[in-house]
Amino acid sequence: MCVISNSFILDDPDLKDIDPTVLKHCHAAAATCILEAGRQKADISAISTCLEDCKLDKERIEQFCTEYQKNKDALEILLGSIGRSPLHITDVSWRLEYQIKNNQLHKTYQPSYLVTLNVENSNSGSHPDVSFSCTMEQLQDLVGKLKDAAKSLERATQM
Amino acid sequence: MLLVLSADHQAHLGCLPRAGGAGGEQAPGRGGTGPESGETGPGRGESGHRAEPRSFGGRTAVRGALCPAAKAPRAPALCVFFKGKLNIGVDIIQHGVEGLVYLLTESSKLMISEVDFQDSINVLGFSDELNKSLLQLYLDNRKEIRSILGELAPRLPSYHSLEWRLDVQLASRSLRQQIKPAVTMKLHLNQNEDQTAQVLQTDPATLLHLIQQLEQALGEMKMNHCRRIVRNMK
Repeated sequence: MCVISNSFILDDPDLKDIDPTVLKHCHAAAATCILEAGRQKADISAISTCLEDCKLDKERIEQFCTEYQKNKDALEILLGSIGRSPLHITDVSWRLEYQIKNNQLHKTYQPSYLVTLNVENSNSGSHPDVSFSCTMEQLQDLVGKLKDAAKSLERATQM
Repeated sequence: MLLVLSADHQAHLGCLPRAGGAGGEQAPGRGGTGPESGETGPGRGESGHRAEPRSFGGRTAVRGALCPAAKAPRAPALCVFFKGKLNIGVDIIQHGVEGLVYLLTESSKLMISEVDFQDSINVLGFSDELNKSLLQLYLDNRKEIRSILGELAPRLPSYHSLEWRLDVQLASRSLRQQIKPAVTMKLHLNQNEDQTAQVLQTDPATLLHLIQQLEQALGEMKMNHCRRIVRNMK
């Protein structure tokens, strides 16, 4: 689970009269409740029932649920992004060059593409990019395959 | 453009007309263990050239020298064989082979025309028949030599193929009841004769963006600017 800092709770001037240990327990309990509700995609009635069992009064339950509703979507996005996945492609850049000669061979006269895929690691955030060179035919092959993937995505969404 | 041969090179090649006395001898066929035997760096040249029987001594030497095994770390056994057949020292044969290799690889690398090649070897003072033989050798092997030299150039990992798969993530430890479509791909690349495969993933929006960008890249080659440059570079 992600680490939720509770320092802002302890520094809040409105709460300075309360025993810090109690404050920490309350914060941890509330955070656990919210995360569990988010994970299970619980609806409002389920959350209310749970809080009633914990002997919270009606007003507090209502406040809690309103706040929860406001932030539910952001919470789901955050929870959904936790976890391992393969390197994620975020962008692509390309370069077209025309080779004239090299020290082994003169008069080569060939166009070639250099493609760089910008990738991101879900854990550490950055990762060296994947670069490769290809001829025009190979790039056409690559684009053809990507288009096939896109077409079957479209077909899948129409099912 | 003429090929300029230094004095050393000319001296090395000078052994060719002297390689007489072979009579009806046959030079050995593809000796050694095939084209892979002992190619060492830039010396790697006429692999796969088959030696043919010739009655004229000089041409025998020329053909025989192009056996792949002759390119092996100065295959002493083969040199000794030639020494026996052609009556000349091992060192001289070695130099002759090296000179011939240099002549052919340089000519192929620079892609010099027939006329230029003939003019370049005229300075060696060989007989017409030998000159014609050398020219024929050059023309016959030029393409293959160039493709081999092409592999020596510095290269980045190059594209080999792509496999893809459509996935939908339904749940994870942190969040139940999801629907998250993704495209998982396996990109096969060639790097210095090793094949590497990398597993990558992307979402549908990025996939469409990739396709659009790469189609633009392909379109560039057909633009007037690129066409003009390609035309004028030849």
